[in-house]
Amino acid sequence: MKHKALFALLAAVAFTGSAFAKNIELLNVSYDPTRELYAEYNAAFASHWKAKTGDTVTVKQSHGGSGKQARSVIDGLKADVVTLALANDVSALHKNGNLLPANWQERLPLGSAPYTSTIVFLVRKNSPFAAKVKDWEDLAQSGISVITPNPKTSGGAQWNYLAAWEYGRRKYGSDDKAKEFVSKLYKNVPVLDSGARGSTTTFVQRGIGDVFISWENEAFLAVKEFGADKFTIVVPSISILAQPTVSVVDKVVDKKGTREVATEYLKYLYSDEAQEIIGKNYYRPTSEAAKAKYASVFPKVELFTIDEAFGGWTKAAKEHFSDGGTFDQIYLKK
Amino acid sequence: MHTKQTYLPMRNLKSFRAASLLVALTASTLSPLAAQSATTSELESLREQIRLLDQKLRSLERNLELKEETAVADAKKLPKLTASDGRIEIASADGANSLRLRGLVQADARLYLDDANAAQDGFVLRRARLIFEGKFADIFQYVIQPEFAGTVQILDANINAAFTPALQLRVGRFKTPIGLEQLQSDPVAFFNERSVVTNLTPNRDVGIQLHGDLFTNRLNYAIGAFNGVLDGGNSSASTNTSFINPEGDFTAVARLFATPWVNDKESALKGLGFGIAAGTGNYRNVGANLNTLNPYRTDGQQTFFAYSATTAADGDATTISPQAYYYNGPLGILAEYVSSSAELTNAANSQEITNKGFNLSVGYVLTGEDSTYKGVTPATSFSLSKGTWGAFEVVARYAEVDIDDDVFDGATPLASAATNATKVSTYGLGLNWYLSKAVRANFDVFKNKFDFEGARPLTGALSDDELAFISRLQVSF
Repeated sequence: MKHKALFALLAAVAFTGSAFAKNIELLNVSYDPTRELYAEYNAAFASHWKAKTGDTVTVKQSHGGSGKQARSVIDGLKADVVTLALANDVSALHKNGNLLPANWQERLPLGSAPYTSTIVFLVRKNSPFAAKVKDWEDLAQSGISVITPNPKTSGGAQWNYLAAWEYGRRKYGSDDKAKEFVSKLYKNVPVLDSGARGSTTTFVQRGIGDVFISWENEAFLAVKEFGADKFTIVVPSISILAQPTVSVVDKVVDKKGTREVATEYLKYLYSDEAQEIIGKNYYRPTSEAAKAKYASVFPKVELFTIDEAFGGWTKAAKEHFSDGGTFDQIYLKK
Repeated sequence: MHTKQTYLPMRNLKSFRAASLLVALTASTLSPLAAQSATTSELESLREQIRLLDQKLRSLERNLELKEETAVADAKKLPKLTASDGRIEIASADGANSLRLRGLVQADARLYLDDANAAQDGFVLRRARLIFEGKFADIFQYVIQPEFAGTVQILDANINAAFTPALQLRVGRFKTPIGLEQLQSDPVAFFNERSVVTNLTPNRDVGIQLHGDLFTNRLNYAIGAFNGVLDGGNSSASTNTSFINPEGDFTAVARLFATPWVNDKESALKGLGFGIAAGTGNYRNVGANLNTLNPYRTDGQQTFFAYSATTAADGDATTISPQAYYYNGPLGILAEYVSSSAELTNAANSQEITNKGFNLSVGYVLTGEDSTYKGVTPATSFSLSKGTWGAFEVVARYAEVDIDDDVFDGATPLASAATNATKVSTYGLGLNWYLSKAVRANFDVFKNKFDFEGARPLTGALSDDELAFISRLQVSF
């Protein structure tokens, strides 16, 4: 008996056995308020993938402050895809972990931002300030209590901060004045949660604060869930075009062998079915059809982009959110 | 926000907030005189103060809550250190990576009551091992087990990739999956020495093995390819394959072991397991590197059979072992039969011989704890202050090994009939005292009766039947 043949057979069985897995599991590491969106989208994508390939795909979700989530992935959390609040957090995966290429944003349409959102105010109706909140400047008035998460850990909070800054710059004419304005605003913040969902809890469930600077979708959800008699959405005169971005985490998918399904998972976000889900969950869709369908849902507001106002995320992050940046100067001074 | 904060328990804060509100409300609304004298603006002012006070306290509560959440989250990220009776382990927060430090020390006192072996009385450090085991990425398990007693050597060094419970791949040096008692961890075996039948099964070898548990642990399988070792042997630690596997062929081994009722908690057959294992390989001599053969030892660790120094394996060898165990409450029974065939040669004399043996061991835990293949866990530990004694188990065993008569035939026999037994029948009785999960004392008496092809040797270990009292104190964790 030639035992070498048996050995070769045994080795072949051993090394190929794991390739016949019938179930595929992906991990989507996302930011705080996307729980509902991706719960619905994951089910739709699983059906799509099953119909296309016959394989069963299960997508696990992880949520938290966007910056915090990016650090978790850099520290070893095996995310097949990241769907974070801002491009800078995804870029951190390249800069600090070499987990994806520098040109990651070019791999999907619209700079890898399949949906957008903006920042609005959720105002408590029984607050004495309810009628006094119309625009950004009203958040700096004496005595008002403002809820926003920590920009050091939350992507949404960075959008909030920069939107306020740009308003101050336009309103008062300089960066110094803008800093003074933002400083006044943050003096009115009694609690800094690490993520947007935590801030929603603080404002809605714990009853703290008069105004919550909120993701637009989060504000819609709060009104829908807790009633228009308790909260109202106030749209400021200008706000920021928030572009949450998505990417495959190359090092992880190559190791796990999930590149194909992970890539399709993100590409499918641009499909008609996904764009419909996106609109339904109060994110602003990017396809023309869905944009037209949900046009009446989203208030009209003048939106500026991060590139226009701050020269891109890299510059904005360094100036405002790095150690010793303007937020530290304001926060530590407080 | 994160301004100056004084730590107060959350419950106290809530009570304080309620009390403050109550006092303020009482002051502002329940006193008719005050209400009459208060202007509308004063009332408004008071209400605003209450609102601000309420907001401040809510904020304080929330900030404490967030601090506690952060502390809990941070604690979850910390590695876990577990140190208890029988376990020292460092594991990552998610349990996917770990290092477990284990150890085994066995100190024996051997006393031979027969006339032949009295000179062998003495104390023996039987085993002294530090075992490092753990895993990476939840899948890749490893074991490194050096032996420091006697010849310092690496006993086990292997990696097991556990893709699923049913699909696992082990590579490196580990126990060949044939002998039931051989596969049982030594510190938990009924007796302080395995039975004579393990002389006929291979011990540790270098190879690759696919294994796993099927049908919710009802069937365990193992199939592997090894360099190949003969009866009772360990493979060499050499990295030179022309020395450790001179013929260049592998030994194929397969084992199936069923425990059909293992999941039926109420069944009396829950602890029944049975199976069969077999291995076959080519041990043909190539060049000057001989496939040398191991001597067979008694329960008292004296040699009762050894091939001639010039005898070597030169052909196919096959080992077959049907085996079973049964555990039910404090009762444990373990039995196996082994047939070991090999083509051997000594000069011009070549023979295909078959040595056979079996073992039947029984144990009963007097203190009522369950007996299992993985040992006995005492309900209490020995403690004079607490008046607890641990667990006690009595054990009995009968085993025999029958050497093929052809071994002694021919002009250049494979073994000398003048200095070797052709059969050994062994009787063992013992008491095991489990002082704790990690500490056990054994007191065993072995009687080994020898049969010979011709006359009994007049001198040496076989000049009298062996009667040995072997006691042991062991720490195993």
